[in-house]
Amino acid sequence: MGPLEKMKDQYTQRDSAARAWKKQGGKVVGYLSDDAPDEMILAAGLFPFRMSGNPAEGTEEVDKYSESFYDPSVRSILNMLLTGKYDFLDFIIIPHHSDAVLKLYHQLWWIHQVNPAVNFPPVHVFDILHTPFLTTALYVRESLLNLKSKLQEWSGRKIDIKALSRAIAVGNENKALLKKVAELRVAEQPRVSGVEALQMIGSAGFMLKEEHNKLLKEFLDGASTLPEKDGVRIFMEGSDLDNPEIYKLVESSGAVIVAEDSNWGNRYFEDPVDETADPMEALADRYHARSSRPRTQSSAQKVAYTVRRALEAKAQGAIFYLLEWDPAPAWDEPDQIKALKAEGIASLSFGPQKYLLSDSDQKNIKAGIQGFIETLREGRKEGLK
Amino acid sequence: MSEPKNINEGHRAGAYGSVKQLKVAAISAKYQKDWFKSIQERLAKGEPFCLANADAPHEIFLAMDDIPVVMTQWWSAIIAAKQMAGYYFDEMNAKGYPRNLCRYCALPLACAMDHNPERAPWGGLPNPSILLAQLSCDIQTKIFERLAGEYNCKFFPMEYPAPAPSYPRWWETLETRWEEIVGTRALDLRVEELKALIRYLEVTTGRVFNYKNFVEIMELENQQEEYFKKIRNLLSVTRPSPVGLPDQLAATMNLQWHRGTKWGVEHAKLFYEEVKEKVDKGEAVCKDEKVRLMWIGRGLWHNTAFYRYFEEKYGAVFTNSMYLSIAADGYIRDYRTDPMRALASRHLYMGYWLRDPQWQLNEAKRYGVNGAVMIVASNCIDSVGNMFIKMVLEQGGIPVLPIYADVVDAREWDDEGIKAQVSQFIEQRCMAR
Repeated sequence: MGPLEKMKDQYTQRDSAARAWKKQGGKVVGYLSDDAPDEMILAAGLFPFRMSGNPAEGTEEVDKYSESFYDPSVRSILNMLLTGKYDFLDFIIIPHHSDAVLKLYHQLWWIHQVNPAVNFPPVHVFDILHTPFLTTALYVRESLLNLKSKLQEWSGRKIDIKALSRAIAVGNENKALLKKVAELRVAEQPRVSGVEALQMIGSAGFMLKEEHNKLLKEFLDGASTLPEKDGVRIFMEGSDLDNPEIYKLVESSGAVIVAEDSNWGNRYFEDPVDETADPMEALADRYHARSSRPRTQSSAQKVAYTVRRALEAKAQGAIFYLLEWDPAPAWDEPDQIKALKAEGIASLSFGPQKYLLSDSDQKNIKAGIQGFIETLREGRKEGLK
Repeated sequence: MSEPKNINEGHRAGAYGSVKQLKVAAISAKYQKDWFKSIQERLAKGEPFCLANADAPHEIFLAMDDIPVVMTQWWSAIIAAKQMAGYYFDEMNAKGYPRNLCRYCALPLACAMDHNPERAPWGGLPNPSILLAQLSCDIQTKIFERLAGEYNCKFFPMEYPAPAPSYPRWWETLETRWEEIVGTRALDLRVEELKALIRYLEVTTGRVFNYKNFVEIMELENQQEEYFKKIRNLLSVTRPSPVGLPDQLAATMNLQWHRGTKWGVEHAKLFYEEVKEKVDKGEAVCKDEKVRLMWIGRGLWHNTAFYRYFEEKYGAVFTNSMYLSIAADGYIRDYRTDPMRALASRHLYMGYWLRDPQWQLNEAKRYGVNGAVMIVASNCIDSVGNMFIKMVLEQGGIPVLPIYADVVDAREWDDEGIKAQVSQFIEQRCMAR
């Protein structure tokens, strides 16, 4: 099995590396989003595992406790916690990434209150707040110190500076390697598809970074022989997608996704941690103030980010794909579409979509994408939204 | 898209309903309207003006020689009561904002985007000099950044540290144990932010924060909220209920917007005396009260008449909602050791506690309700968790009916259908108890 296949395998069998670690006596820390410093988990000698939902897992258990109008990917994680799919987790870190993610903390607490028979692993909230200001920076710094204490308590060992620096270096190498993968996507002739990119980036959260780096290096070593990808160049915008279903629909319609605005995609590896600074200060700065953090970006910054990334990727069109009950990205969409249009990049916008797409949903979406791709091919950008 | 109807017909003249049985409700509604109109004149003289979310500390502005503050949620309620929300949201949707976005907090933005004060209620909102909100959900930044763009003014955001899931029976000890209940880290941050806000206002308005006045404001606010507590306690044990929900809403909320003033205290006292008089005389919303209902969630601002329908049909009275109850349980602070910190503790988690299932159960039992109707707006993240309110109340023996609707946007309101749901609930689950 080649490196790409191995990463695909990890992306599909997301819990395999964590379960193997656990089998060897290690402890696993589940975390949500890209706002948890996995470097620190690793430095504590614990396995950092990025939690994700799965549309195919259903919602039977979560329906008993949670409204249907709740972010479907977080809701899916809750369902998986309730059904034992995450039984290998020893601890959970919930960062204050978004309302939906923070709500998970309260949901877990209340589920246990109304049904004491239901138990979850110990949870720690990493209270990473959202303005770019000094008061927030200092608060986040303290949150990071609290997280460090909690991880030390969980692991039973001190997090020393050397271990933290080493974990940061490994994480930075991972980011740098993934950036090289991104360069293969934005080349004149892309050599990596959007689906493959999602799998490579996503698998970084499901396995140890050192192992992931080895696979990435091996993959990049053979990159020049990769076949070129044909298709209309598309930039993806909207919700953070923890599965590749919409990418598959887009790329099976004559397009190649060359970049995206997603923390399961390119945002994941932007902004390395400053290795020249004190590790704790560098981590606090990176996680709070990184330029790619949507919740800290103003809408104007977010619009500028979208346009810059779409232009860098030489995108011919942009597809806005929103999950239902994920309203935050929708607020920026009108301005993003306008700004892209000003740069000659047409957009296709899907209204809120279900997490699990039915056959007819897929058919309708695909028809929309095909029409858009065809229009882009013909160069008829005017008249599109 | 069509022009709004009934803009000036005034069949629902204020946000909290036009027909006031309580004198204080009518007085406070008129006072609020006059006050709003006076802002225009004050702005013409160059005074500053703040538009803020309801959980923002207007006390700060009061202590700066009374900089006027309008709350976005109040303004939403006014627009909704004038039946104009649908028009503004249609316009906003036509600009590319999807229909499923949140409404209650976004309606002032939709109105601002119209840039037509003549069409807006009461001559429209004056241009604010500053916008203020705590980032208690992802969308606050989105809305307020856009408001800042529409009004060409600055937005001052305040952080919302993660609240603890619950503090046992917080409502019993919050007045004195607020440091422990809210949490030291969150309070430290909020105090820093309040000081930064004050300095920003001092620099940009040329006014100075008067600490002596601020302490007096904290005292007056406590006095006002003590009256609300007496009113709540009296109403909760009085059967049949002497004051219906629309009157409670009008009197409570219009007074709350002026908390911390002598006028607020005087009229809260008047409110109490009027309620007491009604109790003493045995007056009732429904002499033949058969069912007591609790309203859970925000007020149905586009149709406060809804609450009255069930009185005639079943003798079912909506006896209480969160508004008077939180006034009684959430505002009073022993501020003597540190008034600024006490103020910080007042607003941080009030919105969160409003949805505390245990508090809701306590209020349901206090009022002795036969059932609760819970309005759920699926477009608002705050509604996630309402299922726990339902579960906890039902475990406590109080049946709950969730109705899925928006409180300001009537475009999808199914009056007949929802009345039928509530009727069935009253007949099958409340009257039998």
